[in-house]
Amino acid sequence: MKKWVYIAFSLLCTLARANDNVVNVYAWSQEVSPKVVRQFQKDTGIRVNFSTFDSNEVLYAKMKASRQTQYDVVEPSSYYIMRMARENMIEKLDLGKLSNYKNLNPAFTHPDYDPTGEYSIPWVLGLAGIVVNRKYYPNDNLEKWTDLWSPKYRNSLLLLDDPREVFNVGLLTLGYSPNDNNVQHLKKAYENLVALLPNVRLYNSSSVPSLLIDEDVTIGMGWNADAYKAHLQNPNIEFIYPKDKFVIWVDCFVVPKNAPHRENAYKFLNYVLQAKIAALQVKETFYPTANLAAIDYLPPEIANSKIIFPSVEQLKQGYFQTDLNDDALESISRYWQLLKLQ
Amino acid sequence: MKRSLRVGYLALIYLFLYIPIGTLIVYSFNNAVFSMLWHGFTLNWYRVVLQDGSLWIAVWHSFYLAIAATASALFIGTLAAISLYRYRFRGKNLLQGLLFIIIITPDIVLGIALLILFSLSGLSLGFWSLYIAHVTFCIPFVVVIVYSRAKSIDPNIFAAASDLGASELKIFWDIIVPILLPALISGALLCFALSFDDIVISFFVSGPGFEILPIKIFGLARLGVNVELNALCSLLFALTLVLVCLSQWVTRRKTI
Amino acid sequence: MKHKFQYFSVGLITAWLCLFGLLSFLVMLTISFLQHDLDRIAVWHFTLQNYIDLFDPIFFKIFLKSFYIAFLVTAGCLLLGYPFAYIVSRLPEKVQNLALLLLLLPFWTSSVVRTYAMMSLLKTKGLLNAALLSMGLIHEPLQILFTNTAVSIGLIYNLLPFMILPIYVNLERFDVSLIEAAKDLGAKYTTIFRKVIIPLSMPGILGGCTLVFLPAMTLFFISDLLGGAKALLLGNLIEDQFLMANNWPRGAATSVLLTVLMAIGLLLYWSKTNKRVDYEAVT
Repeated sequence: MKKWVYIAFSLLCTLARANDNVVNVYAWSQEVSPKVVRQFQKDTGIRVNFSTFDSNEVLYAKMKASRQTQYDVVEPSSYYIMRMARENMIEKLDLGKLSNYKNLNPAFTHPDYDPTGEYSIPWVLGLAGIVVNRKYYPNDNLEKWTDLWSPKYRNSLLLLDDPREVFNVGLLTLGYSPNDNNVQHLKKAYENLVALLPNVRLYNSSSVPSLLIDEDVTIGMGWNADAYKAHLQNPNIEFIYPKDKFVIWVDCFVVPKNAPHRENAYKFLNYVLQAKIAALQVKETFYPTANLAAIDYLPPEIANSKIIFPSVEQLKQGYFQTDLNDDALESISRYWQLLKLQ
Repeated sequence: MKRSLRVGYLALIYLFLYIPIGTLIVYSFNNAVFSMLWHGFTLNWYRVVLQDGSLWIAVWHSFYLAIAATASALFIGTLAAISLYRYRFRGKNLLQGLLFIIIITPDIVLGIALLILFSLSGLSLGFWSLYIAHVTFCIPFVVVIVYSRAKSIDPNIFAAASDLGASELKIFWDIIVPILLPALISGALLCFALSFDDIVISFFVSGPGFEILPIKIFGLARLGVNVELNALCSLLFALTLVLVCLSQWVTRRKTI
Repeated sequence: MKHKFQYFSVGLITAWLCLFGLLSFLVMLTISFLQHDLDRIAVWHFTLQNYIDLFDPIFFKIFLKSFYIAFLVTAGCLLLGYPFAYIVSRLPEKVQNLALLLLLLPFWTSSVVRTYAMMSLLKTKGLLNAALLSMGLIHEPLQILFTNTAVSIGLIYNLLPFMILPIYVNLERFDVSLIEAAKDLGAKYTTIFRKVIIPLSMPGILGGCTLVFLPAMTLFFISDLLGGAKALLLGNLIEDQFLMANNWPRGAATSVLLTVLMAIGLLLYWSKTNKRVDYEAVT
């Protein structure tokens, strides 16, 4: 048996090595549709080794712990790109090689987390806002994050299980920037969140659509793509862009330093920058795209959805999420522990 | 204890263990994308799962990884348990301590530590790194189970056997292994389950080109793609059930 | 010959455990004494600060809470698992293997998917409530999901086999003639159970408790999903330190401290129980 197994996997190993025309892509699960991968393989003849992760933090830890990366394209979120660029973990891209770069929305090509736009290719984005089931709260005036502090929502709120997202709300409602490194401001945000605790029913970020559709929770914060998915199946669900501002995250493709197949990485990037491919991705997962040209390829119900695509006016209310310094991260992590221990 | 009471108790525990499995099988036919309530019957999810080639590659990778890791962990773990039980040697306490450390270390710490080790030694991430990691975290479970069985062996047996001229290897195969058999079976079943289900450690020590099932499942589940996963797990469950029935049938025929 | 076999087995396990167990522990131990640095994870500068930082009421609370949950779960598993293991060990041999297989079959499917299935079972509008409501046993749906009850159920579910297996393999070896002898001497069943069966199955019980108690403190995705992530376990804490705060030295220090504390606890417990068992054997 053992011998047989050995033969089987040595065969597989040689098969894997025989075809060196590959690109190793490491992305958020669900953020690159299998259809996109299949089409790329068919059109270019380059084999994609596609692996997935489920949080920036683990991606970063994994890249830090290994000396030499085996990946050619990785897809971190905005604030981690800033950190990776500063720590010399990713390459400056030669944008001239990417003929489809022009398809991108200019609003996303020089963001705060990558001011020169040289490190990252924006792919999908999203933002957290207020979600509410109007069957339960038909006439409530919900416009701002601060409305969630009302005592009538006692033990009913859903918060994302993500310290940065929750502290964004704590900071925004006090009028501070969500990218604030000031430890005093973070302390005030924490005290502000402690006042919200009696209203909190649960923290979750992985099954928000099902919790909303099944009405296990009827009000709280959620990402717009999740709210859209929930809205499709339970029309009572509404998504509100908070008037006291919100934070936009952008998941981007970057190329790690010393990527083994750099040429293929460029081919992959240029391929996914095509309007058609970006549109295919939106249709599969409902995440907004930074690819402006892609909008033309979308069915009208998606292209015109106010949940998925905020208006230009609303977009101005958004902050790009950037990296924080060590002290700030340390205090957020500490206050997060304190919040959960209350 | 009365017989009916015993059977009743076993049935209750099995019920507790199988209710979630039953639920996921029922919901694999559910005609809803995200909702976890019943919305009507469909076979659509099975179609989706059967057409997803990358999923089945991951299943196959996980399967032979689990087989290889189980076989090796069982072998090393059994030798370890027997040595700890029978022999006195220097460093015995160290070994016991190490087994204990591996159990207590949170997955994420072991995962990162192993990744640092592999990276320092230049081992590229893929099948071998996963294999080493899985064998390492499976060994302590085998040792604990086998050891608690070995404790019940009368040590005089060994003295008697070697007085009668049996070699150490013969004692191992003809005396120890048969006595330990239930522990070996339990250990193997448990190791397979552990290896087939490990997420955190595997995440850190896996590389491109060798994707395994638990990581894929975890990623999909995080994004709420549960119906598809229900169908996949139902299929895998059916598959193992068939294998189990087959093996039962084969052994029964042998004994007849 | 004895030596060859002994050297081979001892050598193999020592090599494996030292290479991958000891070395990875040493890596973490080393990191736990290094200074935290933003860009390079840790810099080569010896410090005890990471351990000093752990003398903090927050960490104390988290440790206590984790111990408490792990203790409850271990007790639950023992109460449910011991009779199960005992009954199975008295079955005919062929049925025993089948019983074991049936016990472990559910665990060959993904624990994540099973936990989500449990979520859909316990939901306000889920199967359990629907069944109870239709039978007229309750009039209001039970709110189980996102409570500590749900977390305990989930943990006991996932850890039960780890308790049952060591006890079973130990009891299976159990000599029935001992019970017969005790019966002949006029002992009551409860006395036999307390004085004969339990002490003799002690290695199995200890093994099971070790395999349940230790993981119960660090298995956090169950409490995150079923408990609404409102509790913070040691697993969460260490994960936060490694990933969220990027403070590997502190995370490593927490992990090392956990190991040391548990080792002390177990050593104390073992030395005590071993004495008591020996004492009973003498009397």
